[in-house]
Amino acid sequence: MHILVIEDDARVAEHIGKGLKAAGHLVDLEGDGRAGLLRAAAETYDLIVVDRMLPNVDGLTIVQTIRATGDTTPVLFLSALAEVDERVAGLRAGGDDYLTKPFAMSELLARIDVLSRRGPAIVAETKLNVGDLEIDLLGQAVRRGGRPVDLTAREFRILAYLARNEGRVVTRSMLLEHVWDYHFDPQTNIIDQHVSRLRQKVDRGFETPLIHTVRGTGYMMRAGG
Amino acid sequence: MSAPARGRLWRSLTLRLGVIYVALFLTSTALMFGAAYWMAVYRPLQQEAAAVRSEMGDLAAIDRAGGRDALIRALVTRQTTGPKKPFHALIAADGEPVIANLPSWPDDPVSGWTLLEADIYQAGQEHDYEALVVENRLDDGARLIVGRDVESIDDRDELFTIGSAWLIVVAACLAIGGSIAMSSAVGQRIDAVTRTARRVMAGSLTERIPLRGTGDDFDELAATLNMMLGRIEESVESVRRVSDNVAHELRTPLARLHADLDELRGADHAAERERLTEQALAEAERLQSIFDALLRIARIESGRHLAGMKPVDLTLLLADAIEFHMPEAEARGQRIESDIAPGLVIEGDRNLIFQAVSNLLDNAIKYGGEGGAMRVAARREGEGVRIAIADRGPGIAPEYRDRVTERFFRVPATAGEPGTGLGLALVSAIVALHKGRMEIGDVGPGAMVTLIF
Repeated sequence: MHILVIEDDARVAEHIGKGLKAAGHLVDLEGDGRAGLLRAAAETYDLIVVDRMLPNVDGLTIVQTIRATGDTTPVLFLSALAEVDERVAGLRAGGDDYLTKPFAMSELLARIDVLSRRGPAIVAETKLNVGDLEIDLLGQAVRRGGRPVDLTAREFRILAYLARNEGRVVTRSMLLEHVWDYHFDPQTNIIDQHVSRLRQKVDRGFETPLIHTVRGTGYMMRAGG
Repeated sequence: MSAPARGRLWRSLTLRLGVIYVALFLTSTALMFGAAYWMAVYRPLQQEAAAVRSEMGDLAAIDRAGGRDALIRALVTRQTTGPKKPFHALIAADGEPVIANLPSWPDDPVSGWTLLEADIYQAGQEHDYEALVVENRLDDGARLIVGRDVESIDDRDELFTIGSAWLIVVAACLAIGGSIAMSSAVGQRIDAVTRTARRVMAGSLTERIPLRGTGDDFDELAATLNMMLGRIEESVESVRRVSDNVAHELRTPLARLHADLDELRGADHAAERERLTEQALAEAERLQSIFDALLRIARIESGRHLAGMKPVDLTLLLADAIEFHMPEAEARGQRIESDIAPGLVIEGDRNLIFQAVSNLLDNAIKYGGEGGAMRVAARREGEGVRIAIADRGPGIAPEYRDRVTERFFRVPATAGEPGTGLGLALVSAIVALHKGRMEIGDVGPGAMVTLIF
């Protein structure tokens, strides 16, 4: 993917550039808000990573400006402004995701991966299939190998989110954001326990597990292997 | 008094008050004096003048109708009438007096009202009279002067004249003296406040404004200011304590991080490097979470977080929170009982309230002991909602209950459990933002935290 990174801190920018290149992406770096905006407007990118606080033009303005021109390139905000209202401001300005600093490279890569899937035309899905797992989104029903799996509403949402991002890493914070309707900091890693319960219901008794743990990062749903 | 002090004096409110006081005092004295003069002198004189004028009219009519003799008779008769001694003088056109009981009169005709000395010697005694007279020229050119004694009124007039001079002097002295006394009394009280304020500014937060014990306005003001100073002292003390704690709590992971990185430099084995790196990252994360929590509390406490106030369905929120923590509780063999009334809705920030409830549940699970049961109850109470979360753990000793909401405070016995000591501080800040109340109590064995929104 061709990614534009607008970040004024040289070391953070270098760190991001290195990580993205290692993951096989093509990266352009800009350290100034105005230059970043011009570049975003002039060239076509698959994704833009933008800081909130930048010299000359701030990140919110950059995103508002490119959105005003009808540009739908996925945008990920990367900011030290961590509060819920700041996050809401970022998403309202047209950002697709919001990650707060400091961050783990694996988290950034996972989010970029998921964002890149969001094409301009998302078909309203009614069914998801991962291997022998069938998820009926309308009927809220799950079957594996033809046998119904009984899940709570929350477990269903976790499973659907994992399945929708099949083959991609889903971090704990991504799960927290998408499955629970509250923005908060859980004191302990309860997400793991929720996933492990789900896993017991979905994977127990089957030879090939569908939900895999990605060490130090999160989970991935994948059929086979 | 030095020059700048005098300058300050002129600007001072107390001096201005003093000057206003003097002006008001003198004005009111003058008004009172004027009113008394009007009632005691001016009005009686006017009444007397009206009576004399009407007598003069009668006498002139007698002269016209009955001739000069009739007038003379009337004048003679008149000498014995009326409450005040009557005076008159009839002077023929050639200047010869015809009949007169006035001892003297001016040579030139008088116009309008005039006061004439009319002292009379009778049996070797002098009687003081003052005649208020009016003159009329009769048809043949004779002068008729008629009047009555107003000595008593005139005496009063004199008294007033002399009195007013004294009064001005005495009133001015009283006014100035009073104003100085008033200014200095007020000034002293204000100075006491100023002196204390300056000492407080200089860093002595324990200073208080002395009270007179009279319960007057100044005492009330001083008491209020003292209360304010008490609050400030308390919060400065708590800031001091917290910042000591912050320094300690942030330095510890920082020192560990430093140590890990230092060791990493000299580590030979890959496994050792891996272990140290993981350890360093864990410390960095801990630092980050402390930072986040501190900033969050500060932000909530400074009231910058008011935007998200909307109706919140607490019944749903509590069920969600219990559901969120259920796996953790079950992993510890604990049960969560809930007794939540339906339809509990309050005005609030749902994310923050969820955070608060989540922190409390987390504590209940962490300190509730293996295999225990916790209980979440919520019901409407008056206008608000009472949420009680109780566990079956060792509880919080009474002496720590006031301090557990302090940043970084941890009950000594729990130091082994993971945690930052910021959880309840955050809950407390969230509750305060919602103008709610937090109570920490116990239920037999076990802690019970009650939030009242």
